Amino acid sequence: MTMTQTGKRAVHPAARMFARECRDGRLSRREFLTRATALGVAAPTAYGLIGLAAPAARADTPQMGGEVRMQMDIKAQRDPRTWDWSELANVCRGWLEYLVHYERDGSVVPVLLESWEASDDATVFTLRVRQGVTWNNGDAFTAEHVAHNIERWADASVEGNSMAGRMGAISQDGKIRDGAIEIVDDHTLRLHLSSPDIAIIVNMADYPAAVVHPSFTGDDPVANPIGTGPYRPVRHETGIGAVIERNPDHTWWNEGNGAWLDRIEFVDLGTDPSAWIAAAEGGEIELTYQTTGDYVDIFEAIGMPASEVITAATLAVRFNQSQPPYDNVNVRRALQMAVDNETVLELGYDDRGDVAENHHVCPIHPEYAEMEPPEFDPARAAEMIAEEGLADHEFELISIDDAWQAATCDNVAAQIRAAGISIRRTILPGATFWNDWLNYPFSSTEWNMRPLGVQVLNLAYRSGVAWNEAGYANPEFDALLDEANSIADADARREVMLKLQQMMRRDGVLIQPYWRALYRNMRPNIGGAEMHPTFEVRYQHYWKS
Amino acid sequence: MLLFLLRRVGVMLVTALCLTFVVFFLTNLPAKLETLAKTQAGARISDAEVASWLDRNGYNQPMLVRYGEWLGVVPGWTREEADGTIRGRCIERMGPEGAGARCGLLQGYWGHSTRFRAPVGEVISTRLGATGWLMLWVLIVMVPMALIVGIVAGMREGSRTDRSLSTFAIASTATPEYVSGVLFIALLASSTVGLSPLLVSWGVIPGPVLFQGNARSALDQITFWNFTLPVITIALYGMGYVARITRASMTEVMTQQYIRTARLKGVSFPNIVLRHALRNALIAPFTVIMLQIPWLLNGVVIVEVLFSYPGFGWTLYEAAVNNDIELLLAASVVAVIVVLLTQLISDIGYVYLNPRIRVS
Repeated sequence: MTMTQTGKRAVHPAARMFARECRDGRLSRREFLTRATALGVAAPTAYGLIGLAAPAARADTPQMGGEVRMQMDIKAQRDPRTWDWSELANVCRGWLEYLVHYERDGSVVPVLLESWEASDDATVFTLRVRQGVTWNNGDAFTAEHVAHNIERWADASVEGNSMAGRMGAISQDGKIRDGAIEIVDDHTLRLHLSSPDIAIIVNMADYPAAVVHPSFTGDDPVANPIGTGPYRPVRHETGIGAVIERNPDHTWWNEGNGAWLDRIEFVDLGTDPSAWIAAAEGGEIELTYQTTGDYVDIFEAIGMPASEVITAATLAVRFNQSQPPYDNVNVRRALQMAVDNETVLELGYDDRGDVAENHHVCPIHPEYAEMEPPEFDPARAAEMIAEEGLADHEFELISIDDAWQAATCDNVAAQIRAAGISIRRTILPGATFWNDWLNYPFSSTEWNMRPLGVQVLNLAYRSGVAWNEAGYANPEFDALLDEANSIADADARREVMLKLQQMMRRDGVLIQPYWRALYRNMRPNIGGAEMHPTFEVRYQHYWKS
Repeated sequence: MLLFLLRRVGVMLVTALCLTFVVFFLTNLPAKLETLAKTQAGARISDAEVASWLDRNGYNQPMLVRYGEWLGVVPGWTREEADGTIRGRCIERMGPEGAGARCGLLQGYWGHSTRFRAPVGEVISTRLGATGWLMLWVLIVMVPMALIVGIVAGMREGSRTDRSLSTFAIASTATPEYVSGVLFIALLASSTVGLSPLLVSWGVIPGPVLFQGNARSALDQITFWNFTLPVITIALYGMGYVARITRASMTEVMTQQYIRTARLKGVSFPNIVLRHALRNALIAPFTVIMLQIPWLLNGVVIVEVLFSYPGFGWTLYEAAVNNDIELLLAASVVAVIVVLLTQLISDIGYVYLNPRIRVS
């Protein structure tokens, strides 16, 4: 194959293939751009491949000043560790900061920490606290404050404290284990884990892990806004809106790298997206919190382009291996082979996502190992089913009655049927579906994203764990997973991950058609506000031109 | 007259008592309390945590006792926590001396809104104020329009004017707000369809849309631009109805003997309508307009939610969706008061318009 040169760089051959598909109308333009740029093709080149001029580049240098109005639900505030909606955290992000941030590209970066390192067996974590950080009441930020926050997170006696479950490796009897936190000096502390847990740092990026001042006792971080961030709340009315402004009495540690806007206003317009459209038309909001379904296109039509992000949220169409005929690996693999994931994404989910590869590890996971796409061969699939003596067997695929999940399963079943295998669809209402979701022989389950690839594998595919709906029990897999769990470095973990992914695929654990994408629409003059996979609204980095 | 007033107030109290009990009963069903615990303490808490939350916050007593607490005839609950602090319904409201005291409606404590985390009295009064503005403008638009349409149509029954105005009135009252509101938004408040793109291309309007399809900004400042659509949506619906009543009343008056006499005397037609017919024809519409006010108060739910204008109807909706018990109870008390108060005004006003009727 010849490589075409643009400038000094060769265009990836797959990008040319996608461009052809796009021109033939088999690939949407958005999908093409996502894929081509993911292959390392620069956006203007990618536009060129499909015969279009790149849209005028947005001003990429942030500008100081201005005000932005954003649609977002404003809920009654409470103690951060008991937050159950990302919106609660997003309002406070301007003054309550985090130890680490989870980024759009799947990486974890230090914020109030300067760095951290793990011991080789991932049982001792050394956290270095950022120097020169002050609270907006003038106090210096120290390792003791970090220890205080970790203790708060580990306290399981507080109703609804969801951080407690994530701090399992340093807790005992529902509170912090004695000696689990060791304060080395003012800016260093060490965590001693009872078992390896590489997720402990990334858990600190989760939205309930906002770092509060030791004096914080109440349950309202808005009424008592002591934090390290550059903003402060002005007004906060549940169900109506909130106004945040730059704090003039505080020097932010990260001065010059954010806090561009003078003022941010959140407008709570309820749950009906048509009300958001009406508000956007009149200029009452400039960006949405999250747009779903057809509304993404409607917002685009009124001059608010969408920002898209791929998440590791997905639909797992899994087999339960403890039930015949799915105890036979050839049956499972045959059914996988009968389904083309790309078609499922396009017809079953409106192309709002990325194709997945039947192993439940997402390209945005830091340890994702690249693999060839799964095999698609309907003729061979029918043959294999016949070889197993199931040519006359009628399979049954169960799903919940939720629209997109049912549509996805309909498409999976249609493709299996098209391969010449007999299959029946059953749709159950939500109230009955969840009573027995772990035990259906062949059904689909919605999974939300976790930042690390090993997290879902631990939760869902390790032998005997509570949510192992696939009934997958493979000692070799468990051993490899243990190994992966103790490797803190993502690049080193990737080698083990590749084996795990291959094993998932080889054992025909699930048909996993796509990763879901999330969308946000905004006016073209808003910068830095791209959609985030875990719904974070870090308005300290937004700007307006 | 005094007896009449007393009787009316009595009826009002009994109605409020019955209604609040029904609301209390419905919002305190076990499943509803579970929802409340989950919205308050975290959406994903376990059943044991729900039980402990309900117990700690006094929701485990018999329903009648808690209704009594809310009314203020039963002392509020108190309990001692594991760490020795004493918590209680009235301690939260009145401070330490609240232990064993009564703190309910009778003592002037309207309760605490769990949805808005604010005293109910505060929530209701600000929201009622917002709805007040909306209703004021609705009445300013609706009443004159309805009366004019009704009177003009009723002057000459069966004429072409009558037929066309009646058709308009019937059509407007037959279109529910959730239809007309959406139509108005599509026609007047969209930058891609309806009138606005046309007007923009002609250079008639500077902004992208003719009217704002969302009334949230009216909370800070009411303008013609952001308040027209919600006002028109409600006014049009009520207008048709009042116009029909006015027309019926007007046609009846126009067939009276004294009108014929006036005509035979040679009084000009405008004079007949304005001097002789109008006052008598307004008796029926007056009652209907008064009845429209409580209807407006509850009818605004749809429009306020549609245009996300946080008024009383919007609050009622939010309270119902989030099972905010004390806010719902207070809202029903307010609704009862408004209904009976407007009825009272209509009864008294009737007497002045029609000397043949006395209140007692």
